[in-house]
Amino acid sequence: MRKLLLALAALGSVGAALTGYAEPSPSRGGTLNLVAQPEPPAISHALVSHVSTQYVSGKILQSLLTFSTDLEAQPVLASRWDVSEDGKSYRFTLQPDVLWHDGKAFSAEDVVFTFGEFYPEIDARYASIRDDYFESISADGDAVVFQLKKPFAPLLSLLGSGLRPVVPRHLYEGSDLRNNPVNLKPVGTGPFVFDEWKRGAWIKLKRNPNYWKPDLPYLDGIVFHVIPDAASRAAAYERGDIHVLRGGDADYADVKRLAALDGSHLSDKGYELYAGQAFLQVNTRNPPLDNVLVRQAIQHALNRQFIVDHIFFGNGKVARGAFVSGTPYHDPQLPQYDFDLERARQLIRESGVDTSKVTLRLLNGERGGAWERLAEYTRQALQPLGLRVQVVTSDSATWYQRASNWDFDLTYNFNFQVGDPYLSTAYFYRSEYILKTSPFANIVGYRNPEADALWRQVADAGNETERRQLYSELEHLLNHDLPLIPIFEISFPTLYRDKVRNLLQTATSLNESYDSVYLEGGQ
Amino acid sequence: MTPFKSALRIAGRHPAAAIAALFLLGLTLLALLAPWLRGDSPWAMVAAPLLPPFSQWAHPLGTDMLGRDLFTGLLYGARSSLLVGALSTFLTLLIGVGVGAVAGYNGGWIDALLMRIAEFFLILPALFLAVILVSVLEPSTSSVVLAITLVAWPSVARLVRSEFLTLRQREFVLAARVSGQSAAQIILRQILPNALTPVLVVAGFVMATAILTEAALSFLGLGDPDGMSWGYMINASRNLLRDAWWMSLWPGLAILLTVLAVNLLTEGLRSALGRQGGRHAD
Amino acid sequence: MKGLWFLGNRLAQALLTVLGVLVLSFLLVRLAPGDPALLMAGEAGSDDPHYIEQLRVQMGLDRPLASQLLTYVGKVIRLDLGYSYRNQSDVWILIAERLPATLLLLGSAFLLSSLIGVGLGILAALSARRRGWLDKLISTLATLLYAAPSFWLALLLIILFSLQLGWLPAFGMETVAASLSGWDRVVDLARHLLLPAFTLACLFLALYIQLTRSSLLEVFRQEFVRTAQAKGLAPRRILFAHVLRNGLLPVVTFAGLQLGQLASASLLVEVVFAWPGIGRLLYDALSHRDYPLLLGVFLVISVLVVLLNLLTDSLCQWLDPRIQAGGGQA
Repeated sequence: MRKLLLALAALGSVGAALTGYAEPSPSRGGTLNLVAQPEPPAISHALVSHVSTQYVSGKILQSLLTFSTDLEAQPVLASRWDVSEDGKSYRFTLQPDVLWHDGKAFSAEDVVFTFGEFYPEIDARYASIRDDYFESISADGDAVVFQLKKPFAPLLSLLGSGLRPVVPRHLYEGSDLRNNPVNLKPVGTGPFVFDEWKRGAWIKLKRNPNYWKPDLPYLDGIVFHVIPDAASRAAAYERGDIHVLRGGDADYADVKRLAALDGSHLSDKGYELYAGQAFLQVNTRNPPLDNVLVRQAIQHALNRQFIVDHIFFGNGKVARGAFVSGTPYHDPQLPQYDFDLERARQLIRESGVDTSKVTLRLLNGERGGAWERLAEYTRQALQPLGLRVQVVTSDSATWYQRASNWDFDLTYNFNFQVGDPYLSTAYFYRSEYILKTSPFANIVGYRNPEADALWRQVADAGNETERRQLYSELEHLLNHDLPLIPIFEISFPTLYRDKVRNLLQTATSLNESYDSVYLEGGQ
Repeated sequence: MTPFKSALRIAGRHPAAAIAALFLLGLTLLALLAPWLRGDSPWAMVAAPLLPPFSQWAHPLGTDMLGRDLFTGLLYGARSSLLVGALSTFLTLLIGVGVGAVAGYNGGWIDALLMRIAEFFLILPALFLAVILVSVLEPSTSSVVLAITLVAWPSVARLVRSEFLTLRQREFVLAARVSGQSAAQIILRQILPNALTPVLVVAGFVMATAILTEAALSFLGLGDPDGMSWGYMINASRNLLRDAWWMSLWPGLAILLTVLAVNLLTEGLRSALGRQGGRHAD
Repeated sequence: MKGLWFLGNRLAQALLTVLGVLVLSFLLVRLAPGDPALLMAGEAGSDDPHYIEQLRVQMGLDRPLASQLLTYVGKVIRLDLGYSYRNQSDVWILIAERLPATLLLLGSAFLLSSLIGVGLGILAALSARRRGWLDKLISTLATLLYAAPSFWLALLLIILFSLQLGWLPAFGMETVAASLSGWDRVVDLARHLLLPAFTLACLFLALYIQLTRSSLLEVFRQEFVRTAQAKGLAPRRILFAHVLRNGLLPVVTFAGLQLGQLASASLLVEVVFAWPGIGRLLYDALSHRDYPLLLGVFLVISVLVVLLNLLTDSLCQWLDPRIQAGGGQA
């Protein structure tokens, strides 16, 4: 019997080897045509974490590691990592012979600079993590050592979520980081080199001939087309001129039809690390939004199922709380706010607020499309409460600016809860992150010492059970205070043509480098 | 013959114009009664989105992507179009007739100057000018009316001026001058009534242009932000051409029929009044 | 000699008009409520106080109005139409990139509408003489076309020819992301041009039909045609030699007058078809409150119309030397 099993195993492995050889090798060449929608406000995702920026910049700049679709950490610029027993020391060994796009050599000094000086200055969220947890970051030959004050479980998530790439020290050190001209022409280690950005038209990337992975990338180049009109994007995809439409590129109304075309595929893989949630940020500084009863009334007045079904055409489900349902951090027992106009009106009455003099400015950063319709819907939905809503539409760069500067009453936004909410969702709620640098922070001015304390406890908590308990308490509290009104959990259907291969490989795939993507037939 | 019977007679000779007049009257009535017929607001989401036309009695023309009733939208849109059309036409006539009268009556350098200014505005691409003006002044009903007036007054002015040029030579005007009437009296009592016919006709065309321009401005997003408008409805339909073509059909048809009606009525007026000629006032 | 004087006169008038346009756009900026520098910074530049200060100095807002106007005119003459903060580019460059597309569209539309319009007008006139039904049909079509809003017509044509039948592309000037060359590119361009040009042509089709028809009918009645008939010239020769030449004169005059309207309609058509011309540029500038770009486009299109007017006036003069400097036909 044993002999039989061994023989079968041998046969199997030979078979596997044979099929390995029989598989056609990837074709080289060709230009991949993608869409950048909305047009990114900036091109380096070391500086700006806007979704479109990540999409483009992720092919130019790289991180130390990434995550597979099974949420296993995988090497990128770090070839391996060793964690000490007590969890206080991480040693990342770096890939050898990596060059920056300008020809200089990549070294541990770049990593030390990036995480020791660059991000602390640019990103207040990172700065406070660094202050709380990091003791030192130092170079040791071809490796970087992170020495921690206390164990920090989310460290690998922090470095591998695709949001904190490594930047070249020799171009940034000693300069005004935010206004450095390199920001407009980013230099990275990725498989594609920045070529040209013609605003309103395209962003072109060229193949990196000195990429550190041998024989990669397969593509000659990537072009991100700026097509503001949703129907044009759909038409371009139909003709095959655009190869991939990631979630949000096609108007949600068109997704089904486009998926059904010949040679077209639809997948919701590739976002496993990202649990996306859309919410309404409510500026708690501006009356009457400073009154919690008013905020609760607003949530009752929004028919979130209608939003999912008719504005996003079923691409998602109603949110159940501050944390994404299905993740271990959400409490399934959390009390829900039903769509109930009567209750909403009652809450307004209880609040004692006179709504007749109120005009709420609702910011919208995308013209023509689901988000604009959502804004219009909100205007209508809050009208029975006597609240007058004025929708202020602009382009995404202006929206980014205004939201960052707290120049709004209401705005829709969305967040990727990347694994642990502490690393992402927390920034929207913690009072330490009341900042003016980005819309993806506590721009609503929410201050609750109880909540803040819970967030701190959750980061330090030892075991899983304790953490879950704390997260549940936190979620209940946030559910009551509602500085952010959770709307729905977004699904991101990616549409891609037949000939595009190796597209959805990792859990952060669309922000990935695309070094192993190829076009069948090399066109 | 009673005025009523003579009106019927005229209508009989110009059936197209008569139907057009009835249509416009009916539209105005519906527009005025909109709040009672279809509720307070065209923005209310009253039914399932993207309902096709003729599928439900309550929503005969279907609904848009947020479930707003299209028939209600049409009626409220009629209010915008008719209001802006009427206001613009009135203002245009006021300015156009005024300028044309002064130019035509006085002649000389006043005439030359005023006509130069009129030609200047006539040459400029009207919609571009209107777009810039409304944008700079912030979109509202008044800025739209102002913009339309600014591009429409020259044609009225030129017409009135040429009428005046011919009429001021006529005997009855000379007689009035000799009898000592002031210039203003002569303009108001003698010349204008005779120039009325062509002025009415051009007023009709101004109205038609005003409705089309208002629709274009709303289409471009420059209409009154709180008001429902046919142009706005057409713009909103653009993303859903494939799935909900009816969203663009109804408002466009409404514009077409209204402008057609105004044109036909104007043509009818032109031939009806033309028969009677210009009689001089005594 | 007389022709030259005539041309010089018209040229001077055209220049005066252009100056008027400059003054108008200068005034428009100052008409708006609020700070003109803030306005000119646009939505995109309004968060950059350094840039706004720069603009304030450039526009000379602390100096008297007349001085500001002089500065402005001087800049425009040197083709400095301002800077678009959002596009990070000089306005003049942005316009120059898009102008050819608009000219192509206008030219094609003009050709289509005049050819088809005059052709149908001739048919209608001939049919009218014989009291035929074709005349009624064509006239009704013309009436309907005249009353329809162009942007709606555009959408209907897209629904029919693009979405339902799939014969023609719905948007843009060229197939996005497909690098075509040579003859393929020309064909691709033509396919994209057809619907927008036709939509634009429809508007003026009506007027050309009516104008041709009535002017031809008028000419048929005139003396010299009967004279020619009496002389025994073949009917077709009569048509081409005499009737058309005299009948077309009002048409050409008319074309000149309608250029402003044509330009205006092209704005709407470019928006619906996403045709990358200056009309579309204006619409984008509008959406983003990019005032320097907005005004720059207005200036350029107005100057264009004035120049084209000059052209058609000269053409009229050449067609019929009896027409003097003027064009004051009401």
